[in-house]
Amino acid sequence: MLKYILRRLLMLIPVMMGVTFLVYFIISLTPGDAASIILGDGATEEAVIELREKMGFNDPIILQYTNYIKGLLSGDMGISYDTGKNVSTEIIARFPNTFKLTVIAIFLSVVISIPIGVISATRQYSIFDNIGMILALVGISMPTFWIGLMLIILFSLNFSFFPSGGMDGWKSLILPAFTLAIASTAGITRTTRSSMLEVIRQDYINTAKAKGVSRKVVIRKHALKNALIPAITVIGLEFGVLLGGAVLTETVFAWPGIGRLMVQSIQTKDTPMVLGCVIVFALSFSIVNLIIDILYAYIDPRIKANYS
Amino acid sequence: MNNKVLEIENLRIQYVTDDGTVEAVNGINICIDKGKTLGLVGETGAGKTTTALSILRLIPHPPGKVVSGFIKLEGLNIMDLSEKEMEKIRGGEVSMIFQDPMTALNPVICVGDQIAEAIHIHQNVTQEQARQKAKEMLEMVGIPGARMEEYPHQFSGGMKQRVIIAIALSCSPKLLIADEPTTALDVTIQAQVLELMKELKEKFQMSMLMITHDLGVVAEVCDEVAIMYAGRIVEQGTLIEIFTNTKHPYTQGLFHSIPNIDDRKAKLIPIKGLMSDPYNLPKGCSFCNRCNYAMTICETQKPEKIEISDTHFVACHLYKDNLDFQLRQ
Amino acid sequence: MREKVEVINTDLKKKKEDLKKKAKKRSQIADVWKRLKKSPAAVIGIILIIIFILMAVFANYIADYQTDAIKMNVVNRLQSPNKDHWFGTDEFGRDIFARIVYGTRISLFVGLISVGIALTIGGTLGAIAGYYGGKIDNMIMRVLDVLLAIPTILLAITIVAALGASIMNLMIAVGISNIPGFARVVRASVLSVKDQEFIEAAKAIGARDHTIILKHVLPNSMAPIIVYATLKVATAIMATASLSFIGLGVAPPTPEWGSMLAGGRNYMRDSMHIVMFPGLAIVLTVLSLNLIGDGLRDALDPKLK
Repeated sequence: MLKYILRRLLMLIPVMMGVTFLVYFIISLTPGDAASIILGDGATEEAVIELREKMGFNDPIILQYTNYIKGLLSGDMGISYDTGKNVSTEIIARFPNTFKLTVIAIFLSVVISIPIGVISATRQYSIFDNIGMILALVGISMPTFWIGLMLIILFSLNFSFFPSGGMDGWKSLILPAFTLAIASTAGITRTTRSSMLEVIRQDYINTAKAKGVSRKVVIRKHALKNALIPAITVIGLEFGVLLGGAVLTETVFAWPGIGRLMVQSIQTKDTPMVLGCVIVFALSFSIVNLIIDILYAYIDPRIKANYS
Repeated sequence: MNNKVLEIENLRIQYVTDDGTVEAVNGINICIDKGKTLGLVGETGAGKTTTALSILRLIPHPPGKVVSGFIKLEGLNIMDLSEKEMEKIRGGEVSMIFQDPMTALNPVICVGDQIAEAIHIHQNVTQEQARQKAKEMLEMVGIPGARMEEYPHQFSGGMKQRVIIAIALSCSPKLLIADEPTTALDVTIQAQVLELMKELKEKFQMSMLMITHDLGVVAEVCDEVAIMYAGRIVEQGTLIEIFTNTKHPYTQGLFHSIPNIDDRKAKLIPIKGLMSDPYNLPKGCSFCNRCNYAMTICETQKPEKIEISDTHFVACHLYKDNLDFQLRQ
Repeated sequence: MREKVEVINTDLKKKKEDLKKKAKKRSQIADVWKRLKKSPAAVIGIILIIIFILMAVFANYIADYQTDAIKMNVVNRLQSPNKDHWFGTDEFGRDIFARIVYGTRISLFVGLISVGIALTIGGTLGAIAGYYGGKIDNMIMRVLDVLLAIPTILLAITIVAALGASIMNLMIAVGISNIPGFARVVRASVLSVKDQEFIEAAKAIGARDHTIILKHVLPNSMAPIIVYATLKVATAIMATASLSFIGLGVAPPTPEWGSMLAGGRNYMRDSMHIVMFPGLAIVLTVLSLNLIGDGLRDALDPKLK
């Protein structure tokens, strides 16, 4: 098992190298001159040229990238063009907020969706199933930011139950967390249901029933564990969607996380900051997928056997 | 005292789907005495597995539904039992071995636990005792007890079927239903598994319902044989009667489809055509469109059960007025 | 003479087979359509999407682009829905209904084109990877792993942020970010088909690789790809709206659903309709495509039902 985890960790390195290179390259396509952006409108021609030389903007892109990676490995993501602050410090300051939001959202999704998916599958075509599936379908069809706006209108403008934005105590967390959770809840519910439906038709379910195992235990012990294997894969994928959703949710609720930081930095053309945010998002996503892979091996003995 | 372990009377089962209604089982009667083995023989789709599942009341519902008839286990009508009482019977009184060992074991639970689960449900023992007994069962079917922590994917097909047999026999059931237990296995493994089943059947004094389409298996293990076609039993008798005094043209067709090693020049005579569309069975005898002996009456009228001897029945118009009718060889 | 007859005979045979094949294909499509029609959800989806398509095509006849959708008319600003303005007016007094109608054009267009981009590039990569396997497969998949490590919408945001906000760049960004998904789906379905006997048979008679891929492999692995593409048009529409919402999409005053929501946000306390209707337009479009996608999946693979 340890070998498996180590192997997966090692596989992360080339992927992250690729990600940094790709993102660095894409961002370097940004039109406009970085030196003039940093110095602002009033700068003299000489000052711009001097800064350009000093920051290495004239170097070939590969060299610039190598320098960036060197810095990145020692935790240095450069200096914000906009505020002049250290990018790493800014991101580290905001990261816990995004972490809190996304972890709570994924927790809500899993806790709500798996039971609903299981019940829907065991009572296929019942009223519960039909209503659940219609809601799930509507859930995956609503854009995150619009859900956020509707929840604000309903719960903070009309009833003032919760604040419409900012970060101030647990109350301010509720609306953004639910907003973010809805899409993934719907997605995971649908997958749980369909994989459960497939599992309960398998022969081994009949074997279990023929042994005299009660209906409840058949579902809980024999079916669920098998159905969770595809469900967990989807939870991993949904986490990516959720990170993307965090950018929008944070924008809607003025939540001071990395997503909002990224959007603001795009508007001010603050490339080092955008770069840092994207890399942190990609790294988080990769780590989540690593955890998912480990969980996977834990549940499915066939995978575990391959690596022991 | 009643010596009958299983009695099925006038059992009718339908599957109702969007495309129509399938009469999967159409008024069958079966009876198995204590310690005896009945072979239920027929093609795929004849309703054998449906019959088997109905004994455990495991017909998927919907779409399946028992329309009429009753099933008695040692005189107890299981149609009246609650779900809770049925759970006691499943795996306790009646066990079942499924056709495909590759898919019949849960891939994420180790085999020891899968055996122990049945023991824990039906016997008043602790988890530890159940596991101990599971280990013994595993050894009894010829698998080292040390392998009980292993998962199904680590076993071969024949080994898996042994595990399944161990599960089925773990609570010494009175009746074992074996649904084509050897079909999915290699020939050499088939013989081993059959031998094991025979041996254990003796040991546990069980009755057995052997579902198969392989007359070789029937000859090997069965005392009595029932031939099933399109949801009906067309001929039933002792092993000797069916093999030496074949009455129904369909039974004869089955025998003619087997190659004969003593006379390799003899041509195989396959049964012509395919089984009738189950959504749309013929009005008369279901077999009449494939039968070499078909008469006009066969197309319009369902044949009645005709008694050849105390133990031998056939449902065929050929014998209606002439009990001594002989099929062409 | 005999040879000639034989040639004619095989020719006839071939023609007959071709005809049979065509008939089979037609009946397959007819079969899928028959099953699709049976699902009320799919029918609702189809009706909805037809309405949206008609709205996009005939937008000119429904409202005038310049006067209704673009021209500011401050006197009429923030009107609630009424008989002149069915969905009310926005903060500049523009008719929201007219803007939604014209927004349909952008959403459907961007959704279709970006999925087209992703399908062409991703599909080709996936087909090559799946068909050839080995080193080529490994190389393509490792590159895609990198793309997959960045959440789709974040990749799209990054690309638009770099290239600048425009409809063109939006399509490119959403398209590129969906490449790995399509590559995976196409690869998987090619893999499931490629070892089947009819492919072996085609190889045995000396058919060339691209012929085998285009004529034998792809047509037989279409079902999951069609379903995936339908569902992806839905997410592409959603992504377009999301990007526009954070100011990375269609520039004002062009009517786009996402940017309508971004603009209306500040007025939603008193004029709820301003964020209500554009959002509903997104939900209904996406929902209709999801309904069709689900219906197609069930219709193409009846055993799963």
